Amino acid sequence: MMPRGFGGISAWLDEPVEVVRLALVRVLAPLSILGFMSKRLAHADEWIGAAGFRVPDLGGDWRQPIFVPALPSGCAWAVAATMIASGLSCSVGCKTRPSALIFAATLAFVALSDRLAAFTVSKLSPIVMLAVAVGPAGTRLGVDAWWAARRGAGPSDAMAPARSMRFLQLLPITIYSASGIAKARGDWLKVPLVLWTHLHDSYQTSISFALASVLPGWAWTLFQGLVLVFEVFAPLWFWLPRTRSAALVFGLGMHAMIGLMFGPVLWFALLMMTLLAAGYLPDRFVAPLDVAADHLEKRRSERGRPMPK
Amino acid sequence: MTALARTSLTVLAGAYLAGVWLDGVGSTLASAHLPLTANYFLQVAALFPKAAVMSIDYRAEGWVCADNRWEEFDTRPYFPIDSDNKENRFQRVMHFFREERTTMHALEAYLVDRHNSGRLDDGLPRDKPITGIRLVSLRIPLPEPGDRLEPLRRRPLSEYADRQKQPFYHTPKSKIVERCASGDPGLHRGTE
Repeated sequence: MMPRGFGGISAWLDEPVEVVRLALVRVLAPLSILGFMSKRLAHADEWIGAAGFRVPDLGGDWRQPIFVPALPSGCAWAVAATMIASGLSCSVGCKTRPSALIFAATLAFVALSDRLAAFTVSKLSPIVMLAVAVGPAGTRLGVDAWWAARRGAGPSDAMAPARSMRFLQLLPITIYSASGIAKARGDWLKVPLVLWTHLHDSYQTSISFALASVLPGWAWTLFQGLVLVFEVFAPLWFWLPRTRSAALVFGLGMHAMIGLMFGPVLWFALLMMTLLAAGYLPDRFVAPLDVAADHLEKRRSERGRPMPK
Repeated sequence: MTALARTSLTVLAGAYLAGVWLDGVGSTLASAHLPLTANYFLQVAALFPKAAVMSIDYRAEGWVCADNRWEEFDTRPYFPIDSDNKENRFQRVMHFFREERTTMHALEAYLVDRHNSGRLDDGLPRDKPITGIRLVSLRIPLPEPGDRLEPLRRRPLSEYADRQKQPFYHTPKSKIVERCASGDPGLHRGTE
């Protein structure tokens, strides 16, 4: 799945991959992103419009990457509607490329417009959607593929070179590696209860409270160590075929626990799980999606065929 | 897609990943060379590198002329997104901008205006206008493993010890006195 040495990078980038992997990102990532945005979208005029508090123009302050004035309420709601429509359209694979591009543009706009409600998902999501737009994400398992089949186009390619999928495979690993090193340089090697200290603020859920109540202190130190080793050496774990599946399971489990234990971080966890699953699920788990895509195209092409006279 | 476009996108994608990694590990290479806007989108890694030392919450009080004292009011009606956790926009203003005076003055004007408009219930009587605000950070000690824990719940400021309350912004007393005397909050015309 990954190059054995630097010289193989170009070949690895152009090596055909299952298109349904990219389709999986196309389906699930917009849903995770819209889930994250949902509370903001419900108050669009307070979020990016003039109805709520706005940080004034600070003229290049490092905390304000760019000053975007508040939108009139109608425009704020229009941006929100466009985001929802383009995100859902992309997810079902309808006009995939323009949908993904419009979705990415609205995401970039809101990330810049309101620094206060912007988090990792806000900054990551435009990039993920650009990658979806660039690749053949709409050619399998979606409305575009269904329309193409109805028009009598030949079967879509199950495998295709997709550099954008390679990018999406590398993205979580890059984040893990950097986060792991930042943790090691921070407190994670010095303070044995870093994880424990983060269980007691307003991110707390009933699950994190229950676990904090019953697990002994050393268990949190153990989890901390496991997470640190996983993140720092993530490039290695996902590069080596022998450790890749275990790394995938650990990563999915880690994000599942983050989602369950840190309230609003749920959507970030789902987005990362989407990238991990699409990028690193073993082929045998991806094969059923391919079968489903073939079935969908075959049925539609048969229905779309002109009736014999 | 042309070969040139494909190569350009590949280089951009590689540069983005390198930027994310460098920013995450604490290098200033990207931030020193990129505009703020581009650098902003690289800041996605390095989550939770430090241990929390306290559980921190931010609160607001208003000066009620009628009672001649500070009284806590609830900012959540005026910042409804994620109202019950630290992703709330009021909490974020405090987190990022509590030492940035222009923003604090704008926040003061916003909160005073919202309370005095009387449109939403913030815990203070609607017929009692406020003429200034005091912003407080609550610094709640963390429990030790094995301690008997209580689920997190929002308690009024008055239930916390003074040493846990750290005021970091308030409307100048002279302004408050002046506004109370004139009976006009005066913030629509801007603050100092």
